[in-house]
Amino acid sequence: MHHPPRPRLLSRRRFLRQTALLSGLTLAGCGWTLGNVGGQSPATTSTDELLIYTWSDYIDEESVEAFTAQTGITVRVAIYESNETMLARMLAGGGNNYSIIYPSDYMVQQMVELNLLRELDHDRLEGMDNLMEEFQDPSYDPGNRHSVPISWGTTGLVYNTARLTDPVDDWRFLWEHQDRLRQRITLLSDVREVMGATLKSLGYSYNATDPQQINAAFQALQTLKPAIASFTTDAWREQILAGDLLVSMAYSVDGITAMFEDDTLQYVIPQSGASLWTDAIVIPRTAPNVEGAYAWINYTLQPSAAARISERLSFATPNRVAYENLSDELRENQALFPPPEVLDRCERIKPLDAATNELFDNYWTRLTSG
Amino acid sequence: MAAASPPDRAQRVPIYPKWLAPLLMLAPAGVWLGLLLVLPTLVIFQLSLVPGIRPGEVVNPVLWPLTNYERIFQPVYLQVIARSLSLALGTTLLCLLLGFPVAYWLAQTAPKQWRNLLLLGFILPLWTSSLLRSYAWITILRRTGVLNAFLEGIGLPTIYLLNQSAAVLIGMTYSFLPYMVLILYASLEKLDRRLLEAAYDLGANRQQTFWRITIPQTMPGILAGSLLVFIASLGDFINPELLGGASSMTVARLIYNQFLGPTRNWGFGSALSMVVIVAITLAMVLLIRYGDSSASGLKAGNQDTATGT
Repeated sequence: MHHPPRPRLLSRRRFLRQTALLSGLTLAGCGWTLGNVGGQSPATTSTDELLIYTWSDYIDEESVEAFTAQTGITVRVAIYESNETMLARMLAGGGNNYSIIYPSDYMVQQMVELNLLRELDHDRLEGMDNLMEEFQDPSYDPGNRHSVPISWGTTGLVYNTARLTDPVDDWRFLWEHQDRLRQRITLLSDVREVMGATLKSLGYSYNATDPQQINAAFQALQTLKPAIASFTTDAWREQILAGDLLVSMAYSVDGITAMFEDDTLQYVIPQSGASLWTDAIVIPRTAPNVEGAYAWINYTLQPSAAARISERLSFATPNRVAYENLSDELRENQALFPPPEVLDRCERIKPLDAATNELFDNYWTRLTSG
Repeated sequence: MAAASPPDRAQRVPIYPKWLAPLLMLAPAGVWLGLLLVLPTLVIFQLSLVPGIRPGEVVNPVLWPLTNYERIFQPVYLQVIARSLSLALGTTLLCLLLGFPVAYWLAQTAPKQWRNLLLLGFILPLWTSSLLRSYAWITILRRTGVLNAFLEGIGLPTIYLLNQSAAVLIGMTYSFLPYMVLILYASLEKLDRRLLEAAYDLGANRQQTFWRITIPQTMPGILAGSLLVFIASLGDFINPELLGGASSMTVARLIYNQFLGPTRNWGFGSALSMVVIVAITLAMVLLIRYGDSSASGLKAGNQDTATGT
C-alpha cells in the first residue's frame, strides 16, 4: 500500500466517472473515487409530481398554482441555503429525487465538470429566444447547453445616506475613509467576492491567477482590517439601519430589497466594476420526471412568470420580453438593471484551478484569523 | 455478578458458547457504531492521507510525507486551533460556573411540584433554531442594541461587545448552558443527603461540606457536562461566524471551508478533522481515566472509612 512520494498533480488524475456503487463511492483501480453519483434515479415514472430543489423564497405559491393549472403537475419544493450545500447533497447521492435545481453560474460550471447535469434538448424548450442576447451564450455554460438563466444581479455596496453624506461610488472609498469607518463596515462572507472586489479596485481581474496580484489584494485587505466589523452575507441589515454600520458589501438582491424597505439606504455598483452573477435552472442527470422538468423550465420562460422574479424578489430578469413588460419604475431602477456601460465593467466569477483556490483559501484563513 | 455464581451451576454444560449471548446483545449497537462511527472515521482517516484530494478524484493514500498533516503546523492553522480550544475551554468554564448554581437550586431547593416545569423552561430555548438565537444576540450586543440602550438608560457607559471573542463566548455559553444544567441536575438530584447531614454532624461547615461532599459526589456529572459542552463548542461554527467579527476563524469553520468552500480540499479538511477527533478522544480518555478514578476513589475512601470504623 505504500506509495512513493510524488508531486501532487500526478495524484490528481481524473478518472472517467462511471456508475456509482455504495452511496456514491466508485471503486476504480486501487483507490476509490471520492464522491461521485451516477446512480439510477428512483424507478418512479410518475409524471404528476415534480420535486424542485431551490433557494428559499425563490418559488411562490402563486407560480406553483399557475403551473399546476397549466400542466396538471403538482410541485413540491425543497430548500437549500448555499450552492455548496446543494452540491454536497448531490455528490453524496442524496438528491436523486430532484427534477429541477437552481444553481448559480459558477456552480453550473462545476456541476457540468462533475457530470451531474443532463444536457438540455433545446428542441423541447420554448421561449429561449425571449432571453436577452447576453444570456444566449453565457461564459459559464456556452450555448446554455445545460442550464437556463432565471435571474441575475451584481455585488456592490449598501450605505446609509443619512450617516454618510458624501456618495460612496467605489470600492476605494473604503480604503480612503477607513479612519472614519473603524468597525463600521461589513464585507461578504465569501472569499471570491471579497478578494475579487479588492483585486478589481486595484485594477486587476476578479479571476486573477497571478500570485503577486492576489498577494497585493490580501495586503490591501489586511490594511483595511481595523475597519471591518465582520464578514457576513446578511447580518448587516438591522445594524446599517440603526447606524451601527455605515457601509456593507451586499448582493444586489439584498441591497435593493433593503433600499425598498428604507430609503435612507442606497445600493451602488462600484465604479471600478463589480461581480455579475446569474442563477440558472438545471435538470440533474439523476432526475425523475424529466418531462415535468422541461414543462417547469418552459413555464419559467414565459414572460409573465419571468417578470415575477423582478417584481416580487428584486432580481433582474434575463428575459427580454418580461423586462419590456415591467413597470417603468423597475425598468429604470439602475441598481436593478444597470446601464450597459456599467455592466461592461463588471465581471463574472469563474472557477479557478486548484492551486489558485488553495492560495485564496490560505489568504482567507489568514485574513479571518488575524 | 454472573462470574460469582455458585460452582454447581457453572459446571452445567451450556448449550451455546459462552460468548454468544453477549455478542447478540451487543450486535445491534455494534453494527450501528461500526457503520456510523468507526467506518466514517476510517474513511476520514484514509482521505487525510491523500494530498489535497477533491471530490471526483481517486483515493490513493500516501503514507509519507504526510502533506496534509504537515500543513496543519503552519502558524496560521495553529493559531486557529489555539483560538478554538481557548473559546471551547472558556465556554465550558462559564457554563459550569453559571450552570452549577442553577442545577443545584433546581435539584435541591426548588419546590418539587415545580421542578419539571422549571427544567422544561430551561430547555425551552433549545427548541428554537440556533441561528435565530445568534441573530438575537446581534440585536442585544450591537453598538446601539438592547444592552447598550439599557446601560445608557441607567446612566452607565456603553460597551461594544459584538464582533469580538467576548460575543462568541456569550453566544456559545447561552447555547450550551441547558446541556450543562440538565446533566448537573441529573447528578445533583441523586446527591446523598445522608452524607451531607453526616458532614454537618461531624462539625463541617457549609463550605467544607460543599467542597468535600457535594463536589466529589457530583464529579461524574461535572465531568460529563463539561465534556459535552467542550465538544459542542469546539464544533460550533454559527456563533463564531455571526458574533465573532472579522477575526473569528475557528477550526470548525476551517473544516467547513475545506469541504464546502471553493477549494474543496477534502484531504486537508480530513486531516484537520482527525486532529479534532484525536483531541476529543484524548480528552475523553483522560477524563474517564482520572475523572472516574477521583470519583470512585472518593467512594472507595468512604467505604474504607466505613469499614474501618
